[in-house]
Amino acid sequence: MGNGPGTAREREDQEMTDAVLYFEDVSEGDEGPTLTHVLTRTDLVAYAGASGDYNPMHHDEVKATAAGQPSVFGHGMFSMGLLGTAITRYVGAGNVTRFTVRFARQTWPDEELRSSIVVTGKRTEGDLHLIDLDVRLRNADGEEKVVGEATAKVPAKA
Amino acid sequence: MADDILSTIIGTPTGTTVVTVERGQLALFADAVKDPDPVYRDPRAAADAGLPGIPAPPTYPFVMGNFGVYAELQPADAPSGNPMGAVLGPLMAKGGLILHGEQEFTYHRPVFAGDVLEGKGSVVDAYQKESKGKTMTFVVVETAWSDPATGEPVCTSRMNIIHRI
Repeated sequence: MGNGPGTAREREDQEMTDAVLYFEDVSEGDEGPTLTHVLTRTDLVAYAGASGDYNPMHHDEVKATAAGQPSVFGHGMFSMGLLGTAITRYVGAGNVTRFTVRFARQTWPDEELRSSIVVTGKRTEGDLHLIDLDVRLRNADGEEKVVGEATAKVPAKA
Repeated sequence: MADDILSTIIGTPTGTTVVTVERGQLALFADAVKDPDPVYRDPRAAADAGLPGIPAPPTYPFVMGNFGVYAELQPADAPSGNPMGAVLGPLMAKGGLILHGEQEFTYHRPVFAGDVLEGKGSVVDAYQKESKGKTMTFVVVETAWSDPATGEPVCTSRMNIIHRI
């Protein structure tokens, strides 16, 4: 992934991150933008290097199949990381105050992973304006891979 | 494994690590989790977003102890021993699979490039249960990251690891 002028998709991403989400503009039931990504073995090699997690189940097909797995499979933390990317795209980097998940199922190369972010509530705690989110990662068949919750502090206009 | 062995590891430390959070590592991690946001790569973009520095992506604290760990910064009196290994080692010797069951982060403030942070880990729970003919052993480890210079808490990471056989 380059950091240059980039593709149309990257420019679109840029515009999405530039739009500040204000507390007043958030309502219960709102949905964040959906991030979709088709998982590749190269993603898992890149995540292994960037995370330091060299469990061979995630990059070594020979060892994974010898262990009875149909192929290599994704790091749970890659899935949570992808969901984190979707969340910060919605609420802004540096604004997440809590992020908790349960890893429901393994992810497999060539699966399309889709994020789902739904606002479940909004509240004020002292000076903080908080929004609560239901966050999920599913494959194209709707099978849930990661299920969790996040809370973010967002700026208020007033 | 007898429950009494599991209960003896509850409350035991898993180690203390001092890490230097490096800018290149954060950009590499953002690439790996498919986040093209320039805020993770360019201090001007971070400033535009109202941040005092380049932040870490939200799940970075999970891997933070794997990078920027320099010998001269490590505490001399860090507890030794590996309670995770003491429990999971004998279980793994019997076979089975290690799974990451749940993960939780609580952020007191973002992690920033240039931070020097101390992570203190401890086993907060350990238990076993039978499910669908399998024996599941759960070990929950909490790592509290703080700024050792000020004592300010930064992030708490709570990991639930399962051995299933």
